[in-house]
Amino acid sequence: MLLKILYDALLAAIAAIGFSAISRPPRRAYLYCAIIAAVGHSVRYMLMNMPEPVTIIPATLIASFLIGTLAVFLSPRAHMPAETCLFPALLPMIPGIYAYKAFGGLALCLLSESEAAFARAQYLFSYNALTCLCILVCMVVGATLPIFIFKKISFQATR
Amino acid sequence: MGAGATCIRLEKNVDRIAARYGMHAEITIMPRHVHLSLWDTDSADCVTAIASVAKCPISFNVNTRLSELSWEIADGKTDFTQARAVLEGIDSFDRQSEWLLLCLVPAANAAFCGLFGGDAIAMFIVAIATLAGYYLKQSMLRRGIDLRVTVFACAFVSAVLGATDILFSFGDTPAVALGTSVLYLVPGIPFLNSFSDVLYRHYICALGRFADALVLTCCLSAGLCAAMLLMGTGMF
Repeated sequence: MLLKILYDALLAAIAAIGFSAISRPPRRAYLYCAIIAAVGHSVRYMLMNMPEPVTIIPATLIASFLIGTLAVFLSPRAHMPAETCLFPALLPMIPGIYAYKAFGGLALCLLSESEAAFARAQYLFSYNALTCLCILVCMVVGATLPIFIFKKISFQATR
Repeated sequence: MGAGATCIRLEKNVDRIAARYGMHAEITIMPRHVHLSLWDTDSADCVTAIASVAKCPISFNVNTRLSELSWEIADGKTDFTQARAVLEGIDSFDRQSEWLLLCLVPAANAAFCGLFGGDAIAMFIVAIATLAGYYLKQSMLRRGIDLRVTVFACAFVSAVLGATDILFSFGDTPAVALGTSVLYLVPGIPFLNSFSDVLYRHYICALGRFADALVLTCCLSAGLCAAMLLMGTGMF
């Protein structure tokens, strides 16, 4: 289990560095993004793989809150806004697969020729769209809450 | 705004700069325009300016430097002339090395494939598919081709390459390879920005950002579906 958690953390760190590069952060941000993403994603992995597993939506909320808290407290040290480490660190948890499966379900609804096929496609669309939306909301609420709570620290990080 | 700052960050930065010069600022942020009104706190004089949002790529480097500049002004470390020179020196179009991105983005997407349970072969195929797709994205954007068309084309190319794992039965997790081959195109930052704006009640701007992100997600999904139909892999 420990090895699996470390593997998950390593992959999340690589994903965070690569995806953050697209949004052009300052160079010093890469290390912070990698550490925060690794901690956050591995916590979500642990929660979802416990003997009594937590489902993806609450697990994402908890992991995002942890990511947000780490970003708020590390951003003054890195001398950059909390969002600079926060958003790239959240990217490995973006529910991209759910988003395009929802679109696929919508496309299948239009292409379906029978009631049963339509119902299946509609289920695919509704399930994936709802899950995607809930994960996104939990991610942002969880990650933004620490910025809200520790306003003074987060908005003075670049001072 | 164009560089991907949240509305609350914009408000805070503008307010602290205005306060330094004894002004009160009111800022209205719309998806494509920004209205800024400044009041002299000692008189009733008011000036309003309206500007279009710059069309520039997301850059946290620009956001960080603008935030630093706002504090330097607020703390009196920089006077108006110096601040203006620094502002003009902050290039909204600061670029990362394209070669560095061509190394990092495929590695990131391959790691993403691993996070979804893909095996080593799936990760390798995803890295190749991402490399081809991202190179195409850079080439098309350099030629000024519309972002939505670019995302559709890149998703199509990456998904066709990702589907090779299914067609030739290279590994044990071909569906993961196909599914994750296009994930580098998901507009994650605009999605996060839009929900963050909702929390601070900037609903109109949030809606605009969400619509932009949704359109791009639809384009990438359409590219993926087209590739699935072409390669006969079946849809979902």
